Amino acid sequence: MNGAGLTEAERFAELVVEVGANVQEGQDVELLAHFGTEDAVRAVAGAAYRRGARYVDVWWWDALVKRERLLHARPETLNYVPPEPGARLLRLGEERGCRVWIVGNPHPKALEGIDPERASRDLLPRLKESTEVVMAQTTNWCIASWPTRGWAEQVFPDLDPDAAFERLRRELAHVTRLDEADPAAAWRARVAELKAAAAKLNERRFDALRFLGPGTDLTVGLFRSSMWRAGSFERVDGVESVVNLPTEEVFTTPDPDRVDGVVRSTKPLEYAGSLIEGITVRFEGGRAVELDATTNADVFRAIAAKDEGAARLGEVALVDGSGRIDALGTVFWNTLLDENAASHIALGGSYDFVVEDEAERARANQSQIHVDFMIGSPEVVVDGLSEDGETVPVLRRGVWQI
Amino acid sequence: MPDRSRDLERLADLLVGFGANVQPGQIVAITAYHEMAEAARAVARASYRHGARYVDVFWWDMLVKRARLELAEAETLEYVPPWIGERLRWLGEEGAARIALTGSDSTIFDGVDPSRMGRDLLPYVEEVPVLVNERTTNWTIGPCPNPDWAQRVHPDLEPADALERLWEEIVHVCRLDSNDPVAAWRERMRAIVASADQMSERRFDAIHLSGPGTDLTVGLLPSHRWLGADFTTVDGRTHYPNIPTEEIFTTPDPERVDGQVSATMPLEVYGSVMSGIRIAFEGGRATKVEADEGAEALRSIVAKEGADRLGEIALVDGEGRIGPLGTVFYETLLDENAASHIALGNAYTFPLEDETDQARANRSAVHVDFMIGSPQVDVDGITTDGDRVPVLRGGSWQI
Repeated sequence: MNGAGLTEAERFAELVVEVGANVQEGQDVELLAHFGTEDAVRAVAGAAYRRGARYVDVWWWDALVKRERLLHARPETLNYVPPEPGARLLRLGEERGCRVWIVGNPHPKALEGIDPERASRDLLPRLKESTEVVMAQTTNWCIASWPTRGWAEQVFPDLDPDAAFERLRRELAHVTRLDEADPAAAWRARVAELKAAAAKLNERRFDALRFLGPGTDLTVGLFRSSMWRAGSFERVDGVESVVNLPTEEVFTTPDPDRVDGVVRSTKPLEYAGSLIEGITVRFEGGRAVELDATTNADVFRAIAAKDEGAARLGEVALVDGSGRIDALGTVFWNTLLDENAASHIALGGSYDFVVEDEAERARANQSQIHVDFMIGSPEVVVDGLSEDGETVPVLRRGVWQI
Repeated sequence: MPDRSRDLERLADLLVGFGANVQPGQIVAITAYHEMAEAARAVARASYRHGARYVDVFWWDMLVKRARLELAEAETLEYVPPWIGERLRWLGEEGAARIALTGSDSTIFDGVDPSRMGRDLLPYVEEVPVLVNERTTNWTIGPCPNPDWAQRVHPDLEPADALERLWEEIVHVCRLDSNDPVAAWRERMRAIVASADQMSERRFDAIHLSGPGTDLTVGLLPSHRWLGADFTTVDGRTHYPNIPTEEIFTTPDPERVDGQVSATMPLEVYGSVMSGIRIAFEGGRATKVEADEGAEALRSIVAKEGADRLGEIALVDGEGRIGPLGTVFYETLLDENAASHIALGNAYTFPLEDETDQARANRSAVHVDFMIGSPQVDVDGITTDGDRVPVLRGGSWQI
């Protein structure tokens, strides 16, 4: 896909730098990337320098070096996290820097055969400081996806490797809207639609949402001042960034004490290299009291046991059927894409800045983790419950009812 | 193309178990170019097997650097992100092990404005020599064959053949073709250190080199010692900073160098190739600098402060494995261990025992080694009485 003489990597880079992260003149850009995404990384570095970045700091992450650790390191050392990456992120926040994360794990099987208990101790390259920096809104940032061969084989195991890569490349170009003549304009339009849906939900001021479908009957309480948000984030000083490319969700922060019922995941979850499928959770008074999964249940339980807030909800998000991801019917084994395919909830930390009332904001869930998992599908009905007990249809077969 | 994974494992084991001498519980920092992923993983694996607590890889991507050199605002090029130095200080505080993999194709920067290149020296940062002098980390540098470097070293061969040739050479010079490379290196280091000790006992007043185009006297300071490249950290961990290493070296008197010298191999400095170098010295100063290729670049280096005097003299005997290959590796680690050499610029002070001698050692921001030895170059020691004692003849020790 060549347009205006640019390679696809260059078109991707322009989109990420201009619309996604919105790189500012004189900024430092920290770019976290996997091996296998070199074309995209070097193009993003070039595009950022053209926009006037002072320094583009690439933090290459190699899942196979991590595999060596999990295979051979002594168990008591696996919780060790080197201090430098976290300190670097906090400094980036203080300096109002920019963060770009290119996802596309080229080695999805890097943790195959590793004892899940060992795997759950080493969550790198995830850092608790990255959650802190997001919550503090001190950086403009963007997570975007780029195809790699290993990832393609995971997503399309029945195709031959070249065909799988080509299919993934095409699907990512489609969902990232690089197949549009003007991807930047396409995203501005889509972000405006999502913001309009968020505005309508905000007018309703629902007291709670109810999800009802196969294996799911879950009520998620909302704060009176929970605001629905979509599309873009603002840095504390107003610099806007479209933090996920693609993004299709409208989300808010729930009341962590008022979540009740059972829920079943509708898509697999990839977390720090482990694939978790068939999640079921029962909530009581906001807490996840029973957690299970058909694969890697131990990893999932370890996530929820990470700290006090890890067993409560920090996010609820709605995704309607007009997004481009779910229509493909592809499971990407990647949260960025899969969470934008379907409505979802997240265990762990919340975006407290979407809660307007200070007293309520203080009650928003806190945790060093934030793990989204998908609970929506066309079969799952979403209703809004008003304060006076009225039930209002919100999503039916993926179509907004409000 | 033969499978080199076993050689890679042996190289990694040598760097971890012998070169850096990784200890159980240590943090291990690896520096690797982006294209050295397989080797870095092998070093990580070997480190964890030796009980490393955590292996931290600093990946360096020349193409991202090239994007900066081409596109960034000129006034930002000297900016160094502070975390790189802070990470090195952290490694020092932790008493970490450090392993750097070298072997890169500097032609990657062809066409970049040299004045812009000179402003961005990354991944080099000023904390590196500080850490070396503090002797808090046990470290080593080793070569890592990769396609780009192989093409640079053997441009006339097909890419696969060039890589294969480079691998053969690296296996040979790193003594991985021995049954027990660590034992082979211990034996070689014993011989090198014994030569250094014998040379130190002689307390020569000067070294004289004579051969085709070379008639050079290099004065030595009274308290000089000859050393082999085996280092010890402040808390007693032995390590070998260069794999391979073949040299014994000391710090000369920067005021007493006279005569003329002809380089016996080309070299590459800051991306410029220099060959056929001829330098005349008077009273320690390089007074005439000529070269068949790269003369201007060499003169611009010599013009820097302290770069017109010597900071090192090193002797390599014919038992070394690099010189006989006749290959120019465009990599100081290998090329300086190919033959006896001298260096313009900065000196190590630790080979000098007296503080007054240390104060006389040469100081400069640069340190450029160039090779002046060959089997045709005779090396003599000159005693304080003026006696001439043969040191190297046809590449063999005479002492």
